[in-house]
Amino acid sequence: MNALDIDKLRAHVEGLPGGGLDAIRQQAVATLAETGLPSTRDESFKYTDLSEIGQLSRTWLEHPTRGQVSAETERRIADVTAIADVDWLVIANGDLKAALTRSLPGLSLERLSESPPPLPALQPLTALNAALLEDGLVIRVGAGQQRPLGLLVVDDASEAPGLSQLRIDIEVAAGQSLELVEYYLSTGDEAHYSNAVLHLELGQGSAARHLRLQDRSVRHSQTQRLDVTVGRDAAFTSASFDLGGRLTRNDLNIDLPRAGSRAEVAGLYLSGDGQHVDNHTLVDHRTGPTVSRQEYRGILFGRSRAVWNGKAMVHEGADGTDAEQANHNLLLSEHAEIDTKPELEIYAEDVRCAHGTTVGQLDERALFYLRSRGLDADEARRLLVHAFAVQVLAAAPVDALKPHLDALLDTKLATINDASLSI
Amino acid sequence: MLKIDNLHVRTGGAEILHGLTLAVNAGEVHAIMGPNGSGKSTLAQAIAGHEDYEVTDGSIEFLGEDIAELDPEERARAGLFLGFQYPVEIPGVNNAYLLKAALNARRKQAGEDEIDAYEFLKLAKEKMALLGMDPKFLNRGVNEGFSGGEKKRNEILQMAVLEPKLAILDETDSGLDIDALKAVAQGVNALRSPDRAIVLVTHYQRLLDYITPDFVHVLSGGRIIHSGDKSLATELEDRGYDWVVEAATA
Repeated sequence: MNALDIDKLRAHVEGLPGGGLDAIRQQAVATLAETGLPSTRDESFKYTDLSEIGQLSRTWLEHPTRGQVSAETERRIADVTAIADVDWLVIANGDLKAALTRSLPGLSLERLSESPPPLPALQPLTALNAALLEDGLVIRVGAGQQRPLGLLVVDDASEAPGLSQLRIDIEVAAGQSLELVEYYLSTGDEAHYSNAVLHLELGQGSAARHLRLQDRSVRHSQTQRLDVTVGRDAAFTSASFDLGGRLTRNDLNIDLPRAGSRAEVAGLYLSGDGQHVDNHTLVDHRTGPTVSRQEYRGILFGRSRAVWNGKAMVHEGADGTDAEQANHNLLLSEHAEIDTKPELEIYAEDVRCAHGTTVGQLDERALFYLRSRGLDADEARRLLVHAFAVQVLAAAPVDALKPHLDALLDTKLATINDASLSI
Repeated sequence: MLKIDNLHVRTGGAEILHGLTLAVNAGEVHAIMGPNGSGKSTLAQAIAGHEDYEVTDGSIEFLGEDIAELDPEERARAGLFLGFQYPVEIPGVNNAYLLKAALNARRKQAGEDEIDAYEFLKLAKEKMALLGMDPKFLNRGVNEGFSGGEKKRNEILQMAVLEPKLAILDETDSGLDIDALKAVAQGVNALRSPDRAIVLVTHYQRLLDYITPDFVHVLSGGRIIHSGDKSLATELEDRGYDWVVEAATA
């Protein structure tokens, strides 16, 4: 058990503004008192040690502070919100006020405390989120939504170590479509931990195209959980890019409970010196025909570690399931480590399931081919690393973000230093 | 142009070339023929500078300079081109991008400015038309999903755009249907000039029906054991390699 100071937690929770979230907070504190935070003895956290996060949480609970948003933060926000053809909701240091003042066509925005969800079964991290949450955002997507919706989440740790919780529930009405961007940034040099919990519910025949972009600082750790329920004949298409952060843990759980529902998920993670990226996915095929596709790619360099655990669960009666999982990794340093594990559990008939993982270095044959055409060795290596990454980019939804993402990825790949590449 | 003297090359823990000597002058086309396993591809790879092929003795001079210690990219920029027997598929690297980067690497070496986008496209399309290639291949990944024939045409396209001083074509004719063979031959013939040399490495005489060599050499057991003019190729096609090998070891 990864200990939290439960008395301090309880005292802090009692000081939060009252209202609709009281019951769920009490339940969350009770859960945490029992479980604590996940430890490496828990199977799904075997390779991801949250003890630093536990330590930071304890320290923060003694002096809960929230620094002011710095000029640097304002500048970063301005850079992103300048990206054209996206309606941005900015959430800085967990403050929802600015987002709630926006009025956007086809969207309704309200506070979670105004329509609190039924009491859910909580896991340690969702319990931590529920306990410390001041409020969350509920977004309903109806007819008339035109432009992609961008959620820009910025945490500023320039004055003091910090902790922030984010909770967003999104419902897409039957037959509607949503383009959604989650963009996570951080500023400041102090340690910070953020814990995000999102729910996305897709009505019958609806479609969501989703892009998640994480470019946190190397002092920032994040756990994020997204639960998606895909309705009958609805489609969820997603690409996620983990380009920064100290410790990053993403849980993506996709429920396919109705015939004709479909999920296509792609991901790219970069992990360098001192970084740790863990992606856990779970797709529940509860009936058939349903389709899921997962392809994650990782580039590891320096002293770093990445974890990929992709699971497809084909429940009894989910005949006609079609599920594919793939995870490919490029190890550019002998000090980098990847733990990759595709999992299939099948309790149905007439299913098509495939999975594959690869771990390797740059292709020496391709390297010689490029050099034999006059490209120098460093340039050839960079080109091959970029080629590996760009295949996730090519499939990424939300066209409005493409030029930005392209440029950002170029910048990030350029930081993979020659020393790493030449090992 | 190319002067190889007493060349010994090791790869995979074994010596494959045991003292090979060959001279190629500007304006000449040479064919190097030989049975499987005679060292033909080893010779091509060693000249291009593949690090798995270690020169243990002898020398390779290109344009009067010993290139045995140079990196493959330095040899390419100096005007050496290797057409691969098995061109590599590189998804995610755009064919046009590579072509342009390769051309600019050569131009930079020659002290010239980079080619502008418009001029490059014009040049590439002109060469593709000559080879009967659809311009859409420019926007594909390098050799990605290309058929065998398309890959070989793509090699010749690179050669045509780069205009090397010396081109070594390793089994460029293997796996080609007659139309592709003719297109490849046309591309090679278009490049023949008094200040350029071409070395064709081939197992069969077929390609030489379309590209007439000035000299034909037989490579066997890691050495050139016999040389002649174009009639030697026909004789090899008729009689096989055994008689040359026997004559050389007798």
